[in-house]
Amino acid sequence: MNIRHTITRYQQKYILPSLGRGLGVGAFSSLGRGLGLGLLILLAACGRGAYTVPAQYTEADSIAVLYPDYTDIVIPANIAPLNFSLLQDGATSVVVQMKGEKGGELVSGGGRDLKVMMDSTEWRSLLTQNRGASIRVDIYAEMDKGWVHYKPHVLTVAEEDIDAYLSYRLIEPGYELYRQLGLYQRNLTNFDERAIYENNRTFEDEHNHCINCHNFQNYSTRNMLFHVRAQHGGTILVRDGKAQKVQVKGDSILTAGVYPSWHPSLPLVAFSTNKTGQAFHIYHPEKIEVQDEASDLLLYDAEKNEVSLVLSDSTQFETFPCWSPDGKWLYYCTANEPATPDGVQIPDSMAEMRRVMFYNKFFYDIRRMPFDAQTRRFGASELVVDCAGRERSASFPRVSPDGRYLLFAEGDYGQFHIWHKSSDLFVKDLQNDSIYALTEANSDDVDSYHTWSSNGRWIVFATRHMDGNYSRPFITYFDKKGHAHKAFCLPQYDPEYNVLLLKSYNVPELTRDAVSISEKDLRQCIYETEGTQATYKSINR
Amino acid sequence: MAKYKKNNKPMEAKAAPQDAPKKASKGGRKALLLLPVVPVFFVAVWLWAWLWYGDVFTIARESSFWSSNAVLMRFMEGRPWGALWWAGRALLMLFRWPVLGAALLALMVSGCAWLVGYCLRLRGWWRLLQYLPSAAFLWYVAYIGFDLYYESEPGMLMGVPLMATAVLLMVALIIRSFSRHHTFPSLIRPPKDETVRQNRAQLLLVVLIVGATMGVTQWMRPYVRVVTTMQRQMMQEDWRGMAQTARANSELSYRQIAAYYAIALVHTGELGNHLFDIHLDYDEPYLHGYQGDVTNAANYYIPDCDLYAGLVEPAIHHAMERMTMDGPSLRTLKLLIKGALLRNEWEVAAKYLCIMEYVPFEGKFIERYKPMLRHPELVDADPELAAIRQVEPLHDNFENMLTQPTFLGYNAALSEGRSMQALYNSLIVHLYSKTMPQFMLRCQALQGQTPPQSITEGLLLMSGKYPQVLQSFPALEYNKSRLLTFMQEVKPYMGSHETRAEHAWELFPKWKGYYPYYYFFGNLKATKRKDNNAGTSNQGVN
Repeated sequence: MNIRHTITRYQQKYILPSLGRGLGVGAFSSLGRGLGLGLLILLAACGRGAYTVPAQYTEADSIAVLYPDYTDIVIPANIAPLNFSLLQDGATSVVVQMKGEKGGELVSGGGRDLKVMMDSTEWRSLLTQNRGASIRVDIYAEMDKGWVHYKPHVLTVAEEDIDAYLSYRLIEPGYELYRQLGLYQRNLTNFDERAIYENNRTFEDEHNHCINCHNFQNYSTRNMLFHVRAQHGGTILVRDGKAQKVQVKGDSILTAGVYPSWHPSLPLVAFSTNKTGQAFHIYHPEKIEVQDEASDLLLYDAEKNEVSLVLSDSTQFETFPCWSPDGKWLYYCTANEPATPDGVQIPDSMAEMRRVMFYNKFFYDIRRMPFDAQTRRFGASELVVDCAGRERSASFPRVSPDGRYLLFAEGDYGQFHIWHKSSDLFVKDLQNDSIYALTEANSDDVDSYHTWSSNGRWIVFATRHMDGNYSRPFITYFDKKGHAHKAFCLPQYDPEYNVLLLKSYNVPELTRDAVSISEKDLRQCIYETEGTQATYKSINR
Repeated sequence: MAKYKKNNKPMEAKAAPQDAPKKASKGGRKALLLLPVVPVFFVAVWLWAWLWYGDVFTIARESSFWSSNAVLMRFMEGRPWGALWWAGRALLMLFRWPVLGAALLALMVSGCAWLVGYCLRLRGWWRLLQYLPSAAFLWYVAYIGFDLYYESEPGMLMGVPLMATAVLLMVALIIRSFSRHHTFPSLIRPPKDETVRQNRAQLLLVVLIVGATMGVTQWMRPYVRVVTTMQRQMMQEDWRGMAQTARANSELSYRQIAAYYAIALVHTGELGNHLFDIHLDYDEPYLHGYQGDVTNAANYYIPDCDLYAGLVEPAIHHAMERMTMDGPSLRTLKLLIKGALLRNEWEVAAKYLCIMEYVPFEGKFIERYKPMLRHPELVDADPELAAIRQVEPLHDNFENMLTQPTFLGYNAALSEGRSMQALYNSLIVHLYSKTMPQFMLRCQALQGQTPPQSITEGLLLMSGKYPQVLQSFPALEYNKSRLLTFMQEVKPYMGSHETRAEHAWELFPKWKGYYPYYYFFGNLKATKRKDNNAGTSNQGVN
């Protein structure tokens, strides 16, 4: 029984990917995938139901160590199976038994590679049956001297689902260069991933471009945008499913639009415009530092194709705009130019490097401005989170859909928290002004770019805590009391996927629906249009 | 062909019975005189690819990556001819043992020649043509040098002959299926219709093909075998061998050779004595970037140089850039593993080691480095990694604040180090970049010691300008006479930059290794050009 299953897993791991994808490069793609799918069905049929819970075993005094760690977590009922590997030297096979508090049972297992890949129908049925209840997970490992039973752990199924789609960019952990990258969308209820848009697969200077900063209006994909940099550059706006390219940069604006935020209901996008510099540590765990050399805030009217400067103070670095869910406030981060410490003389030759020298003296606060939708004017700015006073620094303010919590990343300094190991997720309760860390979700490593689910119960964020270098999306449940729970990694069909993937997940964003515009249409828009130049309108205060 | 056979048959039939033994003995003598050329071609290509060019193909393999795992090979999806390069990369893995990889390559190349002959029904003198496509391929492989694998698709080496063999084999099978008379010729026996002269001509052609290919590598791309041999020796930690290889080719002046020579000297502790033993005036190698631009390919050696200069993070930085641009390669992954272990980044080291487990024939590497995970004491006990630790920085800085490339800029700016080796590295960088005031400043730390040879020579050279040096280093007096001899000899050439450049070569055999020679006559091209691109320093020499 186990042998047969081992063979099945072996075939799934080595042969099927080779047929379906490895050989599937280029011309053999369809044939390979077809063969792969056929074999998969055949093998799945043979392998399913092959596991039984061992009758005899000895008790271990600890819980099993799993990769990814899916022990004692809160999960949405609509999540894809949490496939995992058992990390246990000497084990030759594994069996897992899941029993729901409200009934239902799932028995699965893995062979010599100790990978447990569960049947999605059985998984779905178990979770649906146990919505709002818990599932006890018993894991058994077959060792030389017989079966070992680990202490059970629990999966709690939340009442609330998570939005079904997660969009992200896959890119190598960034230094200076980029090559093949793309925006992808993953269906969280299964393992389907599709490319929203990928740049050129092979290096062609005349077509080489980067894609970044995708953003959606109010968790819907009908209106979305992303930027294209370098060749064929511009901002790609998708409105009502139709793509157009716009050029936001003008003479009065520092650079093209960078960090975007769609107004929840109006055809308006707040952008930051940042002139940034990048520096590389030679002996520091954080490797890379990205700094604002200048930054302002813009408001772009997608209907009129007009852009205006909202904040443009040369002594301030304003960035990361974010609308409140009611559209009445614009949150953003801002920092002062750090003062040169007393007694420090900077030679003229080093003036350009001044900001790099004081990279750890940049502290960003979170502020907000009221917005009048009628007049489209902003009111006076007010401080929301004072980080500079504590010599800390905030980035990426995101307000919960109910408007009560302000979620942000806080680190020791600077704004490029995706490389700051001190960066953790914090919330401010806007009702009582308390600020606290999401301790249960945070890790010792980078916890940064985050997004709320549309019901406010789930947060997806990018963390590097799996290996310190490659960011992965983690999901945490944010309960009604305002507390986060232990975060878990985005499930993958092959639990080893995150080890083998040599790209980082960047800017995870949840949406309710799938992106409907095709990659072909986006490519056409990017390659075949120059982009309409936005008209500049004077400052909008 | 059919006509040819028809014409021959009656002739055979007409042979007189009494002539038969004579004919047979003549035929036997002829058979003895004829050599099967295709097998000879196979052996010649095999020996060439194994013994002559094996190191190049070994480094091509190291610059490649292949795994049966789909996730790991995702970077090749959608590339033009992706499936072919995928297969080519798979076969390239055999160059883990050059004897095997070369055998497979030779098999495909000679097989192509045999199949061309069969498919085109070449007879008699026309048979010479069958070797030409294979010859063109071999010549091309030799001609492109580093372009075989650097910023290009390494799967080409085995992919092209694989495709050619497959296509020709298919055509041959089709011909064989439709023509009953057209049987496959024997591989080990010369064709019956081949005369001795034709046979000899083919043998000569085969010798010429392999000889010409060797000639291309030796005369047009002489640095390629030297550099790759040094890289192979570096993989085997044969530091002395690396240094010997460079010194044996001291007249070749390429950045890649200088870079790997410096790495070897750091490991043998001879940087202060022998760096200037080779010619450092840097000719441009035949090398092209992604878009066919000619490039000096500083990235070829920068990750390695950064690593062995103790600059682990810059090494990781540049290795990651390579991975971004080219996809993973064994070279990059191995460097990243060593870097992660040195920085105690166990999880990411484990990740890369796990990936290496999916690559065929890398068991030894994994066996060596996997036990080091979460065991810094094992990292410190490893001779190669321990040597890197000796010169790691004491403090952080930014690459951007240093002269580029970082391994030179960092050592030029060094004011505090972990070991004497770090100080020597810094002093040698200043000698190399001819920044003598900074050199003299750092030499103060050596007072009362006997510095390495090149540093002594640098000090002596500066003693004219800084007479107090002779008091701090009294032993310099013993070296004065050689300096005087040198200055006297080179006096006629000490005019303009151009004059010195003109005579640098004629003085090199006698004065190589002597620092004053380098100071006046070495590294002049960059000085003249004021080359500030990657791989150069702001001091104007690189």
